[in-house]
Amino acid sequence: MAYGMKILIVDDDRINSTILNRLLARDGHSVVIASDGVAGVEVFHREQPDLVLMDIRMPRMNGYEAAREIKRLAANRFVPIIFLTAVTDEDSLVQCIDAGGDDFLTKPFNRTILQAKIDAMERIRQLHGELRRQKETVERHQGQLQQEMEIGQHLFAKIVSAGNLLDAPCLKRWTSPMSVFNGDLLVAAYNPAGGLHIMLGDFTGHGLSAAVGAMPLAEIFYEMTAQGFSLSELVEAMNAKLIAVMPTRMFCAACLIEVDYRQQSLMVWNGGLPDVLVIDKTGRVVRRLASNRLPLGVVALTREDRKMEILEMKSEHRVFLYSDGLIEAPDSEGEMFGMDRLMSHFGGDVQPDKIFDVILHSLMAFRGGTEQCDDISLLEIDCSRAGEEPPGGMPRRSEKSLPPAPWEMSFAFHAGTLKNVDPLPTVINAVMSIQAPTGHRERLYTILAELLSNALDHGLLGLDTEMKKTPTGFIEYYNQREARLNAMESGFIKLTLVHEPVVNEADGRRIGGAMRIHLQDSGPGFDHTRVQSYLEGNAGHGGRGIALIRSLCSELVYHGAGNQAEVVYQWTYQ
Amino acid sequence: MSGNISVERTEQETTINIKGRFNFEMHSQFRTAYQEDTSKGKKGRKFVIDLSGTEYIDSSALGMLLLLREEAGTNESDIEIVNAKPEIKKILETANFQRLFKIS
Repeated sequence: MAYGMKILIVDDDRINSTILNRLLARDGHSVVIASDGVAGVEVFHREQPDLVLMDIRMPRMNGYEAAREIKRLAANRFVPIIFLTAVTDEDSLVQCIDAGGDDFLTKPFNRTILQAKIDAMERIRQLHGELRRQKETVERHQGQLQQEMEIGQHLFAKIVSAGNLLDAPCLKRWTSPMSVFNGDLLVAAYNPAGGLHIMLGDFTGHGLSAAVGAMPLAEIFYEMTAQGFSLSELVEAMNAKLIAVMPTRMFCAACLIEVDYRQQSLMVWNGGLPDVLVIDKTGRVVRRLASNRLPLGVVALTREDRKMEILEMKSEHRVFLYSDGLIEAPDSEGEMFGMDRLMSHFGGDVQPDKIFDVILHSLMAFRGGTEQCDDISLLEIDCSRAGEEPPGGMPRRSEKSLPPAPWEMSFAFHAGTLKNVDPLPTVINAVMSIQAPTGHRERLYTILAELLSNALDHGLLGLDTEMKKTPTGFIEYYNQREARLNAMESGFIKLTLVHEPVVNEADGRRIGGAMRIHLQDSGPGFDHTRVQSYLEGNAGHGGRGIALIRSLCSELVYHGAGNQAEVVYQWTYQ
Repeated sequence: MSGNISVERTEQETTINIKGRFNFEMHSQFRTAYQEDTSKGKKGRKFVIDLSGTEYIDSSALGMLLLLREEAGTNESDIEIVNAKPEIKKILETANFQRLFKIS
C-alpha cells in the first residue's frame, strides 16, 4: 500500500472532504484541501501534490475545467486525477476521461476501493517517473553524441579534405556515404613533380569507427605525397600505421594509383578492392587489375607486397575505380547489383565518356528506393586530361623562407641503400629544411629526379633508353629495372650540393642563391649525347628530360666518362 | 536479419558452421563459438570454418576471421575455410585471404 503521498482534495462539500481527509490521514498521507476549482488550481500550483481527488460540480470553476488546468500545469510530471462522482452514467464518465481524469470514485466512499485506486495510481505514477528519467538520460546521451559527432565531422572534414585534389580535371567521382561519416576514403594529391596520387580506401564497417581510421591514412597520404615519396612508400607507411593503431578485426581495403603524365605511366596497387578497369576508346576493358595484395592493416608487408603494377598510359584510356558497395548494392528483393551488371556497360555499346553516368543511372534504377547498406564510391580517371592543371593552378607548399646563406651537403648512396630506398625525398627534404626557397621545391625536385634516375637507370643499371619507345618495351624496361636493381651488388651514387648566396654588388644585399649540384655514379659512364637526344626527343612521350633541366638551370655539364653531371640552379630571394 | 552458428568439436578439431548472413551482427556468436578453444593461451587446435550454408559475407566477417586467427596464434594458427559458395570465395580471394587461411 502507498504511504506518505501528498494528496489534494478539491470539493465544495465540507462533509465529503472531511471524510476523505480522515480516511487518507489514517493511511499516512498528508492532505491539502481546496473548496472549488479556482482554489484547487491555486493550491495545486503552490503545494505540488502527488495525486488529486476532484469533485465535478463546484462554484467558480467546475472539476472538468480544473482538471484540464492542472494537467496543463503538471506538464511532464504525471499527476493522477481521480474524479469524485455520485453518478455513474456513461456520458459523465467519458467527460471525466476527456478532461484528463485518470479514474473515478463513486460516492459514498468505500475505504478499500479508495485505497486500491490510490495504490494503482501510485504504481502508474512511479512507472511514469522511471520512464521520464530514462527518457531524460537518453536525451542527454543523444545530445552528447550529437555534439561529439559534430566535432568529429569537423575534424574529419579538415583532415581528410585538406588539400584534397578531387577537382583535378582528369577525375570524375561519385560518393554516397550511408551515414554521416563516410567509411570510404577517397583522396587525391599532386607530388612535387606533378604526378597525381589517388587513393580509394574502404574500411571494415561504416560510420564513425571507419572514419577514425581514415584520418591517420589521409594525413600520411597528403604529407608523404607532398614530400615526394613514392606510392610504395605510402603503402608501407599506411600499412604500418594501421597495424599499430587499429584493432585486429579492422582493416582497410585500398587501391592507390599514380598518374604520371610526364612518364605517361600509370602505377596501380590494389589490396582488397574490386577489379580496377582500364578501357580504351571503344569503351571496352583492355586491362582488369584484380586485387593481388592483402588489405592495409592486416600483416607486415614484404618487398613483393609493396610492388606496383606499371601500365603505359594512353590518352584514350579511362580508368574506373570503385568500392564493393557498388557491386553489392541490393535491390528491394535483396539481389545484388553485381559484377555482371557493371561489366555490361563496358561492352562497347556505350560511348566511353558516357559510361560513368550510365553506371550511376543503372545503379539508381536498380536500387529503386532500397535503403543503402554500405558506402558507395565510383571514380573515373580520364587520361586525356591528365596533363591539365587543376582550377587555381598547381598547389604549392608554403615553406618558411630563410635568407640565402652559404652551405654544403653531400650524400653517398650505395647499392644496398638504393635497392630499398628512393634517395630523392631524403635529399629534397634535407635541402628544404636548410634553405627552403619558397616555391622552388617542385623545380628542385624535378631537376634532382631527372639526375638521380639517369644515374641509377643508365649509369648503374645500364638500362637502354631506347627501350621505352614501344609499348611492350615500356613494360619490359620496368621489369628489367626491377630485376637489375634486385641483383645489384655494388655501385654508388654521390651527390654534392653547394649553395652560395648571390649578392647585389651595389648595396651588398643578399638577393638570392646559386646551388651547384654535382652528381657522380660508379657506372662505366654513358654516351650522354645519346641520352640527351633521347630525353630531348622524349617530349612526345610526355617527358621533357634534359630539355627541362636546361630550362630550369643556368648550367648543365657532363664530366668524366659521362658518369658525372653538374648543374647550377639559381633563385631569387623575396 | 543475420545468420546462425553451430559448433562441433572432436578431439583435435573445432568445426564452426555459419548459416545465413555472416556479418557484424554475428560478432558475439562467432566469438563465443571459438573462445573456449583459444582462451587461456590454448594453441595448436585446428579450426574448420564451414561456409556451406553462408549466403553473404561482409568486411566485418573478414575482420572476425582475422581475430580468430590472432587468438589462435597468428602464424601458428591452423584454420581452414571450407565449402564457400563461388561468390563468397571471390570475396575472400579479393582480400587475398588465401595467404592467411587455407581455403578449400
